[in-house]
Amino acid sequence: MTGWLDVPRGWIDSLGEIARFGSRVAGLVYSGRVFQFFGESLRQAGILVLGSALIIWAFVFILGLNCGVIGAYFSRSIGAPSNAGIFSAYCDLREGIPYAFGYILSAKVGTGIVAELGAMRISDEIDALEVMGIEPVTFLAATRLLGAWIALPFLFLVGVGVAYFSSYIAVVEQVGDVSSGGYLLIFWTFQDYVDVLFSLAKGMVMATIIVLVGCYYGYTASGGPVGVGTATAKSMVVNIIMVHIVGMLGTLIFYGSNPRAPIGG
Amino acid sequence: MAAETIVRALLPAKTFFEEVGEMMILTAKTLASIVRPPYPYGEELVGQFLFVLKLSWFPMTISTFALCFGAPGLQAAGILDLFGTLDRLGGFFVVTAVRFIGPIVTAAVVAGVAGTAITADLGARKIREELDALQVLGVDPIKNLVVPRFLALMVITGLLDIFAIVFGITAGMAASLLYGEPLGGFFATLFTNALIADLWGSVLMCTLFGGIIAVVCCYKGMTASGGPAGVGRAVNQAVVIAFLAVFFFLYMFTAILLASNPELQTIR
Repeated sequence: MTGWLDVPRGWIDSLGEIARFGSRVAGLVYSGRVFQFFGESLRQAGILVLGSALIIWAFVFILGLNCGVIGAYFSRSIGAPSNAGIFSAYCDLREGIPYAFGYILSAKVGTGIVAELGAMRISDEIDALEVMGIEPVTFLAATRLLGAWIALPFLFLVGVGVAYFSSYIAVVEQVGDVSSGGYLLIFWTFQDYVDVLFSLAKGMVMATIIVLVGCYYGYTASGGPVGVGTATAKSMVVNIIMVHIVGMLGTLIFYGSNPRAPIGG
Repeated sequence: MAAETIVRALLPAKTFFEEVGEMMILTAKTLASIVRPPYPYGEELVGQFLFVLKLSWFPMTISTFALCFGAPGLQAAGILDLFGTLDRLGGFFVVTAVRFIGPIVTAAVVAGVAGTAITADLGARKIREELDALQVLGVDPIKNLVVPRFLALMVITGLLDIFAIVFGITAGMAASLLYGEPLGGFFATLFTNALIADLWGSVLMCTLFGGIIAVVCCYKGMTASGGPAGVGRAVNQAVVIAFLAVFFFLYMFTAILLASNPELQTIR
């Protein structure tokens, strides 16, 4: 019997499959069994740094420019152009950078993993690994997760700096309603190290989900070259939705009850 | 030796400029094919339009709601609550949801969901040499494959932007209600501050986003090479290039729109 319930059921089915696969991979990392392939993990971390770092930072740079321009004109519109720092501090650190990080990771790293593992799957290389006595989930998925956990926090923190720099350019140099010192005073007042940790937590949860979703769709790809392309497209749908949901829940948990703003008592 | 090193160091830049140039050429060819008769692409256009709509509507509504609820909703409501002026949230949503978040979420979802599907589709056809076969049959791939996708994506990205704005403002209402504020003030400041220039700016920007995404994704799909792995790689590159191009275009467009429309810079 086919009814309208089949579509949501299909969604929930595949989410459950992804969760099962993901917890298996995370379990392999936590139990330390991934460390038999520690060299491969380091290689994956290296690939992330060499292949994705510049693109992540370029994207975050553009996001910082956007936040800066919108913040500068918004604060001009309320008649307080010297307070552009509030908008860019919030837009960069608290919200924008995790989202930009999630977008570009799902575009670059997530689909990259699907393409790579999917090509291995349909040319039967994964079965060959199993025949050789190497556990494919550990060797292919768990090493990538560990590699991401090794490399991505540093890329994220450098990205925060890149976005600060570009917001400064947009607010102070491009729009120019506020002096450099006035902008930076407000900008640094409206953030502290806890905000950086919250932002990093959001970004890393997104990154973990993106890597696991990518590994799942690549590992289960089927149906020839078309199948790899379709799996890549499907992984992007799941990643986009998950990035936004993680971002919203993060804001709700970290700032929902306490805006953490240095205003009033 | 030195010359070789310089050539190798500049190779990424050379590839980049070559690709950008080829995308420009594809855009020009597409625009020329749109106006030059005959017009055989009507059916494919409707098919692509419905295909993109079917893929994008659900991720788009969830994503816009989530992003607008978290970023401008809760963060701004937190600060405005400290000042005791929660009714100003509506005015703030004109700045964020209409001008900024509606377009970026629409672009991210269309590029990530429909753009990847287009690249995967065209890439698979390229790998199976169907595109060459079409050309042998006398069917122009640009006119019959790229033009309908280009037009369909332009139209639907612009239209989805309106839905993104609606769901973004719904999220703003939810954030306002979460802080226990009646919605009258929210709507009052929203409608006083919303100008028609904001709306057309947002929709026009999204229409152009659709064009950028279609050209990038069609180009990457039609130049895919290297077997199954090649299709996946093409999808990967297409979505990265589309994201970077769209966000950079957003920056240029916002800067020009805000600087050249002083009436957008006053709050009412």
